[in-house]
Amino acid sequence: MIALTEVVKSSTLPLAPAKAADLTRFSVGQRVEHFTSMVLFTVLVITGMPQKWPASAISAGVVHALGGIAASRIVHRTCGVLFSIALVSHLAVAIFQVFTRRVKLFSIVPDRKDFTDAVITLRYYLGLTKEQAKFDRFDFRQKFEYWGMLMGSLLMLVSGFVLFFPTWVSWLLPGQLIPAAKMLHSSEGLLATLVIIVWHLYNAHFNPDVFPFDPSIFTGKISRERMEAEHPLELRRIERDTGANQDPTGPRVS
Amino acid sequence: MLAASLLAWTLALAPAALPQAPPAAVEEAITPAEEVDNCMGCHHLPDMELKLESGETLSLQLDGKAYGKSSHKRLGCTDCHQNLKGVEGEHAKKPLRSRRDFAIAYSEGCKKCHFSNYTDTLDGVHHARIVAGKLDGAVCSDCHGAHDVTPAAEPRSRISRTCGRCHKQISETYAKSVHGQALAENENEDVPTCTDCHRSHDIANPHSGSWRVKTPELCGGCHANEKLMAKYKLSPAVLQTYLADFHGTTVRMQQGERGANPVVALCIDCHGVHDISKVTGPGSRVLKANLLVTCQKCHPNAKADFPASWLSHYEPSFRKAPLVYGIKLAYQFFIPFMIGGLGLQLLLHLWRLAVNR
Repeated sequence: MIALTEVVKSSTLPLAPAKAADLTRFSVGQRVEHFTSMVLFTVLVITGMPQKWPASAISAGVVHALGGIAASRIVHRTCGVLFSIALVSHLAVAIFQVFTRRVKLFSIVPDRKDFTDAVITLRYYLGLTKEQAKFDRFDFRQKFEYWGMLMGSLLMLVSGFVLFFPTWVSWLLPGQLIPAAKMLHSSEGLLATLVIIVWHLYNAHFNPDVFPFDPSIFTGKISRERMEAEHPLELRRIERDTGANQDPTGPRVS
Repeated sequence: MLAASLLAWTLALAPAALPQAPPAAVEEAITPAEEVDNCMGCHHLPDMELKLESGETLSLQLDGKAYGKSSHKRLGCTDCHQNLKGVEGEHAKKPLRSRRDFAIAYSEGCKKCHFSNYTDTLDGVHHARIVAGKLDGAVCSDCHGAHDVTPAAEPRSRISRTCGRCHKQISETYAKSVHGQALAENENEDVPTCTDCHRSHDIANPHSGSWRVKTPELCGGCHANEKLMAKYKLSPAVLQTYLADFHGTTVRMQQGERGANPVVALCIDCHGVHDISKVTGPGSRVLKANLLVTCQKCHPNAKADFPASWLSHYEPSFRKAPLVYGIKLAYQFFIPFMIGGLGLQLLLHLWRLAVNR
């Protein structure tokens, strides 16, 4: 895990050198989690999409390059199992941390403020107000993406399991669940891919505020200026609490 | 007469690639009909026969009437028996070992006119069998006859009878199938007979992967034809629904693979091959009551409700598969809604940045 992070750190990504004023936004574990899901997600999309569109020439080319449909399925299922393990461990760790009060659950759980933030942001975009929403650790878009990914991943895990073991599943449950799982897996996979392409790639790369690349999920660092602009409430809290009991997975002054 | 024979010659040769230039129209002393008359002078005698090395006797007596009705009636004897051109009276005998050698050797003569069919046979399983030393592989005359050759597909039901001379069991099975029965009933032009699936000259090995992988298109050639299926009140969606499911997707993806031999179920694995019956018939393998046994051929662990995982070539609909249909419908709405919403927010953000600048 650490070696993986080292790889990320030493890679030639256009990372700004860490400044004294930078804050730690993500723990090593969170960075490794992101990197792992990024790689697995990409491989799952590459090996999964050709099965959704078997008639396309691109699909044929991809499957051919991977050594045939049987080989692509082995890769897809292996990555699916690994992704499931990552998902289950994420949930286990999160639940453990919440129960032992190591993290504040409510930093990621949507609340009333997220709704008002969304309305304010929309009004701001439309030029109806000069006021900008002030965010805490995660803004409403980040929460939305996190829960979307979590729910989507759970759906993919369950439907993928049904498709992996269709005969066993039908011992206990109605047979129609199998084509239903196929429809779900295929549709949810498409939705997830489109969300990543349209939304995540915009927020992490093409958004003029971060273009060409927001490195904080890889370095774990975020500049004080960005914190001021994007998470001012959290910054206030950190500065107030400096030296006090800190959330080990949460940000702290480095 | 000569002109007519030349015309027949040209017509016979026209579609085929010529191995050599047609012989120049030398001024033959006799017409083909006269030649046939000359030869029949001896070859009508019942005691004309040849003792072969193998101990067999080969009758050399010919049925002139059958020849007169054959497709080749306008040809002279030496058009095929070229080594005897210009020979009169008693002539040298071909030094052949057995009746089988005789048939094989003389079938080589057909390529002179039927060249493309001949080259097709070189790709076929029958020829491969002969090359492998098994001389029972069919040659031209085994299917078409020799002096009594007439159109092989007239009537259409003749085809399966011809194949059935060697492939007896398969032919009998076919005769009882839904296709075979329709053919026997009224020479039905729509149902496939042997050659529609297996082809006639370049017959491929039906157990090979390259053959298996193409079966969905083979069956789909008719079963996805809307006009044809409407005539028999059958669903033309069977191919498309098959290809959309796991089995079909796998086969389709394997079609580009070299040496692929699909292990997933093809049309023939559930419906049968020569014994295809009506899906609603009592013995049908794909009847709901019998389907589990069919699934268990490949899925030995399958129990009770497993066959319900296959939607029986139906598109998911509210009545046929409400859960599948519901999920499909939900995502048809949800995906554009979600991506549209996110895209809109993205554009608004860009617009705001542009305005602020």
